[in-house]
Amino acid sequence: MRLPELKSEYIWAVMMIFFLIPAIHPIGLPFPMDPVTYEVYNIIESLPEGSIVVMGGGGVFAFDLESSAGMIAMIKQMARKGLRLVTCPVWTEAPQFHKYVIDAARVDKDKYGGPWEYGVDYVLLPYMPGGDMVVFDSFLKDVHATVSVDLAGTPIDELPLMQDLHDYHDIALWICPHWGFVSVIRIVAAQYGITCISPAQSTAYAFFSPFMEAYPGKVYMLNGYVGGAQYEALVGIKGLGHKVMDSYAFASTLIVLFIVLGNITMLSRMGGEEE
Amino acid sequence: MISTDPWVWLSALLTLAIFSMLLGDNKFFRWAEATYTATVIGHSVVTGLLTLKDRFYPLYTGQKPILIIPLILGITSLFVVWRRYAWVSTVAMALMIGVGTGISIRTLMATDVVGNVRAVISETAKVLEGSPATRLGYFIRIVFTICALLYFLFILVPKEGPGGKFFNYIATIGKYALIVYMGIAIGNTIQQFVGTATVAIDRLISTWLGLS
Repeated sequence: MRLPELKSEYIWAVMMIFFLIPAIHPIGLPFPMDPVTYEVYNIIESLPEGSIVVMGGGGVFAFDLESSAGMIAMIKQMARKGLRLVTCPVWTEAPQFHKYVIDAARVDKDKYGGPWEYGVDYVLLPYMPGGDMVVFDSFLKDVHATVSVDLAGTPIDELPLMQDLHDYHDIALWICPHWGFVSVIRIVAAQYGITCISPAQSTAYAFFSPFMEAYPGKVYMLNGYVGGAQYEALVGIKGLGHKVMDSYAFASTLIVLFIVLGNITMLSRMGGEEE
Repeated sequence: MISTDPWVWLSALLTLAIFSMLLGDNKFFRWAEATYTATVIGHSVVTGLLTLKDRFYPLYTGQKPILIIPLILGITSLFVVWRRYAWVSTVAMALMIGVGTGISIRTLMATDVVGNVRAVISETAKVLEGSPATRLGYFIRIVFTICALLYFLFILVPKEGPGGKFFNYIATIGKYALIVYMGIAIGNTIQQFVGTATVAIDRLISTWLGLS
């Protein structure tokens, strides 16, 4: 029996349907929990109220979206715990991403009736040029010498939160929801000894996860949407991570199916050629 | 309910135009591709201009007159695009590369070299503790790391004789370790794209069409 030729357009069409099903009707397939995700959750949970956390780094918005699943859940947890957040963007698209995740977490008092007030509980800083590692080093040595105004152009000396943030001594935790986590490890964790967490993209996780072994207790990573979904489960929300987990399961099943089909086709053709 | 926000509609049309690439190259895809590229570049230019205002705020207000030096260096660095006067940018470029390299080389040695060696040593110790599955995992990691490193040392090891044969075996395992690593990296990249596609489709379904 000869199997018909499968055009790539048909494969994409079937793939699209498999994507659409969980998007319209989320199934909520189960996924395993990672011990590191628990550790990260407990680290944030154990920070004293009022601690300052920095969300900093740089990367392309489209790819950083993968980190947003875990980051949004973390922001919700931080707001609930009464922690404070300052951003440190070192890529032109990073300020918009930081704004997006805080907005998506719906924690702002004026916009969503949440627990965070701008300037008091969180501050959005503008893009800081000069190269990520150089900026991190300068920022940790003297925040006020590195940046003078916030994203809206307000002098940071006028913002109450920035009165409590001067250098690395005031930072309890650094979270990097971007590809450039390795620069954060090199400067923030290795040089200044600040605990660093990354709700990383799955590709970045493959590259940088060995640093968790190199800096135990200082460097933590969540693995892409899977890690994001795990964190959402701990915080008690069903966001982007949960939606993508369903798609992963559907797409993976389909890919396996196509691999089997492709092999059957190849074997049937080999048999035909021999005849 | 379907969205009435024109920006959501524009976003949806651009997303659909990008997805139309799955049916082959077409005008809609090229329109969306050009729009995306132009938007990213435009955004970077605007951010760059706004950054000038932010960074030199203390200079305008007279708080830090010393910032005149980086401003001059910044302006001179622009001469790099003008072949005849490109030499003007050399001081700014040298300073930028010098400071950047100086800061990175120190930390790079500490983290990427010493840090990773420390990680391998720590993993070696873990081969003796934990469940059998965990032990096996650490054992594979250690063997793969050493073999992959030895693969790159092929110039230093003898290629002939019994020793050469032994190193050839190790180098072959190292080669397979690298192939496995690349496979995992590609797998993770595909996983990332699957996630990004899901987000785009989810936005179409929920934000644009209001179906979920």
